[in-house]
Amino acid sequence: MELTHHEIEELLGAYALDAVSPEEAGAVGLHLRHCPRCRTEVAEHRETAAALAYAGSPAPPQLWRRIAADLAAEDAAPPPALDLARVVSRTEMDERRRRRPPRSLPLPVAAAMAAVAAAVIAVLGVQVSHLDDRTERLAGALERQGLDQAAQAALLDQSARRIDLRSEDGAVFAEAVVRDNGDGFIVRDNLPGLGPDRTYQVWAIVGDRPVSVGVLGNDPGVAAFTMSAPGVDVLAVTAEPAGGVAVPTSDPVVSGALPVN
Amino acid sequence: MTGPPVGPQSTGAAGSEEGSVASALNDMSDGGLVVAIARYREDALAEAYRRHAGAVFALARRVLADLTAAEEVVQEVFLRLWTQPDKFDPERGSLRSYLLAQTHGRAVDLLRSDTSRRRREEREARQTAEGGYDLEHEVWDLAVAEQVKQAVAVLPAAERRAIELAYFGGHTYREVATLLGEPEGTVKSRIRAGLKRMHAALKSSDLTDTDLAWS
Repeated sequence: MELTHHEIEELLGAYALDAVSPEEAGAVGLHLRHCPRCRTEVAEHRETAAALAYAGSPAPPQLWRRIAADLAAEDAAPPPALDLARVVSRTEMDERRRRRPPRSLPLPVAAAMAAVAAAVIAVLGVQVSHLDDRTERLAGALERQGLDQAAQAALLDQSARRIDLRSEDGAVFAEAVVRDNGDGFIVRDNLPGLGPDRTYQVWAIVGDRPVSVGVLGNDPGVAAFTMSAPGVDVLAVTAEPAGGVAVPTSDPVVSGALPVN
Repeated sequence: MTGPPVGPQSTGAAGSEEGSVASALNDMSDGGLVVAIARYREDALAEAYRRHAGAVFALARRVLADLTAAEEVVQEVFLRLWTQPDKFDPERGSLRSYLLAQTHGRAVDLLRSDTSRRRREEREARQTAEGGYDLEHEVWDLAVAEQVKQAVAVLPAAERRAIELAYFGGHTYREVATLLGEPEGTVKSRIRAGLKRMHAALKSSDLTDTDLAWS
């Protein structure tokens, strides 16, 4: 479903209240991935709606008991950790011990225990990486929150300059805001995602010399850069090898002239 | 298993150590709580439930008008927080608004798949036509906080009604337009304008998100 930015904006209130058709929800959802401003608006609508629902008596305690019971159920519970060691049953061990002298650990048992240890390590490995995944993304998101707020502040700054960057055919765009202190933000874009070994990089063109002002990563969303050089006429974004380069190696994906202050 | 989270005192029958863990959770921000949930701390989920399940339950019950279905939605929402805590994106708002958005989405899904939907719509259309809808008392009772009541009071009646039918009635804006006999575009704009108006009113009344997040 193709909708203009204005049509999307008009839908944001209804969207936040789940009051749009599935097709409209899909179109808005797609748009939100690349538009922090609309994302912020939806978040605000949801906070407002949450205030309306603000209320009530505590939820029934028996409902918590049901949830807690569900946590213990197989699919909701974390992967069993060291309990796996019990796989070698005591009766089995005792049985084997009886048949062999207790002095040294019988070979089959040692082998069985080694196998269990390997299984435990494998499970723990999976569990640990899963846990890292769960927590690191959250911690990262909490940090990025600051970036979104800074970009919002720049958007609200009347004296900040807005730069409309476009590809030659106009299909790809990025909107940048640069504050007087040189803090710049890409606030909205439809730059296609790059592979993990590539990154977008922002250049300030001074005269005809490109100066790198920031590396944006392979899927920018909201991104920050710093423009310290004076006399910048044009901003451009190129796709470069991950980590960025000193001199652009490709033509700009999008570029735009700075408005005269 | 952690005890039913009705209050800080109920968390532990016992020792001072358990008590200090409970009070540490009490002081924890919602963001910190979710990180603890991601680390499989069941007591953190219990604390999140203590803080927010009341509102979650009330909203589900209001939208679904069905106690059993509402309980199932609450259960689902908190289990999802347990199994997929990383779906909560702190950049997109508070934990409370996230949980309520989940609740609303799920409740509305249930409602829209419900075969009794048509009957419900006809009943509501009749009530609306007869003016039998008591906006002040029937619907906005949920908004107990005085500031929220004031924010609701700044809304023109038409905006309030559109939001009420969409949010608490679980209707799409098109359905709302049909129910009220108004153009779809008008209803769509009213919902957005009303939400913005309330947001501004809540902001000016100094009711910060943090205050809202703690019932």
